Amino acid sequence: MKKRSNDFLLGAVILGAIALVTAVSLYLRESDIGTKRSQITARFRDVGQVQVGNAVVIRGVKAGKVERIELAEGGWVLVRISLDEDVALPPNPVLLLGASSLFGEWQATVTGRQSVPASKDVYAQLSDAAGDKDGALPGAVLPDIAQLTSVAGGIAGDIASAAKSFQLAFNDSAARELRASIHSVSLMSNDLARTVRVQSRNLDTIAVDVRSGAEALSRASDGFLRSVARLDSATSGGEVQRIVRESALAAVQVREASERLNQISKSFATTEGHLRSVMFRADSVLIKVDKGQGTLGLMVNDPRLYHHTDSLLMDLRLLFADIKKQPKRYFGIKIF
Amino acid sequence: MIESVGRSVRESVEGLGSAGRISLEGVRALRDVRTWGPLLTDQMRKLGVDSIPIGILIAAFMGIVLALLASYSFTNSVPRYLVGTLVQKTVMMELAPVLTGLALAGRVGASIAAEIGTMRVTEQVDALETLAYDPIAYLVVPRMLAGLVMFPVVVGVAMMVGLIAGWWASMGLLDMSSAQFIKGARLFFDMFDVRYGLVKAASFGVAVTAVGCACGLQARGGSEGVGAAATKAVVTSAVLILVLDAFWAVVWLLGRAT
Repeated sequence: MKKRSNDFLLGAVILGAIALVTAVSLYLRESDIGTKRSQITARFRDVGQVQVGNAVVIRGVKAGKVERIELAEGGWVLVRISLDEDVALPPNPVLLLGASSLFGEWQATVTGRQSVPASKDVYAQLSDAAGDKDGALPGAVLPDIAQLTSVAGGIAGDIASAAKSFQLAFNDSAARELRASIHSVSLMSNDLARTVRVQSRNLDTIAVDVRSGAEALSRASDGFLRSVARLDSATSGGEVQRIVRESALAAVQVREASERLNQISKSFATTEGHLRSVMFRADSVLIKVDKGQGTLGLMVNDPRLYHHTDSLLMDLRLLFADIKKQPKRYFGIKIF
Repeated sequence: MIESVGRSVRESVEGLGSAGRISLEGVRALRDVRTWGPLLTDQMRKLGVDSIPIGILIAAFMGIVLALLASYSFTNSVPRYLVGTLVQKTVMMELAPVLTGLALAGRVGASIAAEIGTMRVTEQVDALETLAYDPIAYLVVPRMLAGLVMFPVVVGVAMMVGLIAGWWASMGLLDMSSAQFIKGARLFFDMFDVRYGLVKAASFGVAVTAVGCACGLQARGGSEGVGAAATKAVVTSAVLILVLDAFWAVVWLLGRAT
């Protein structure tokens, strides 16, 4: 009796344990014993990290799983997926494989060709995989996060090297020199503007003075004319009238001169602007000269050229002195 | 001190050697089914069925602690559902087989060593030989077969209980939904996980029973010798379980990984 009891208990425990382990394993494996599913095959050149059992989603909803992955002829990989029986495929369907999270999970997405992400690589894969005679869907692998990170890393590296090159070319001393140059040009421009302003004011004052002087002279001339007219009646020769006429003519000429001077004063403002741009150009030329660029810069910055020129002048001076002293030594004029 | 180190090394090697020898003799004695057959059910009940409560207790606490530990370790950047992944993988592949194996090494190994050791020091083993019974077939084979079959049963139950306890802890003690835990548990589940844990458990069962039998058969000198044999059986079994755990990891896991 005890023996039979032991046997029953043992059998129950063993069968119960096997049933429990099997049930939990099948549940975790998402096995679907007895459930009807439709099978679809897609072909790829490469399937990335997809494994049997990965989820298949349609418009973000889980609708099946990857059943089988196998190599096929012609360099293809066939992926068979099972979908719930009542699931309808989108028009013109394709199968995309991609990472579903950052933790190595992949999934297969059934979508319409019009919903494929805009990527030349994906389009090329789908075009390559299209037209299977057995009716396999075209498939493509989306770039995973590692590839994206790699590309981003490459871009970051390029930017870093460009920044490094710029840093080498535009170092501290270059920045200091540029800043000093700008400051110098600014100072010089301010000085020039101040000078032009002062001179312009002076010219304005002169023009105003000349105009008021001319007007005073005109008024004096008119008064004098009236006096002369009265005096003319008292004289018989008319000399005084002639003098007055000449004086009036001189006054008119002075007025014209005053107006011309006024015009010159106005045009001086324009000249100021031109002068400023000329000074700016002159400043850039001077900077080049100062850096020893160009012929003039070489002449200015190279002391040897100065010494050579100086010694040349000394030689020429001695030569002229010698020519004066002994002209026949250098010039022989023979008429016949 | 040097002498004691040398003696303990020699005794350990002797223990392993005698366990291996007894295992080989047990394989030879498998032919004597009429001797060990009637005893197998009793041994399976004693070694397996009676060990299930302790296996369930260990697995339940193991699952709960593991879920809490995983939740504590994961920062905000790690999805919560990976608690389920960690509990599933760790319980099935490592903790359930090893912790249950260690518990059974204490319970079963000591029991076998004490029982057979007592028979040895009271000359019952000699009496069996006198009655033309093969002591290996009568004492060792049913225990080793029981260990081989029942350790995976106990560990299988422990796996499932540990997983269920982790699931319960995730829902009850952590701010996780059932769907989240199940999603994580399913995420990287492979039937290999179950197979790996059960095969390890079977190897632990053979090792624990073989060591227990060997230590018991080598017992000398009365009750003190029986106690020493039981202690030695537990220590050697525990060490052997850890060695076998590393062995399977290197041989099987490393092979799959590469």
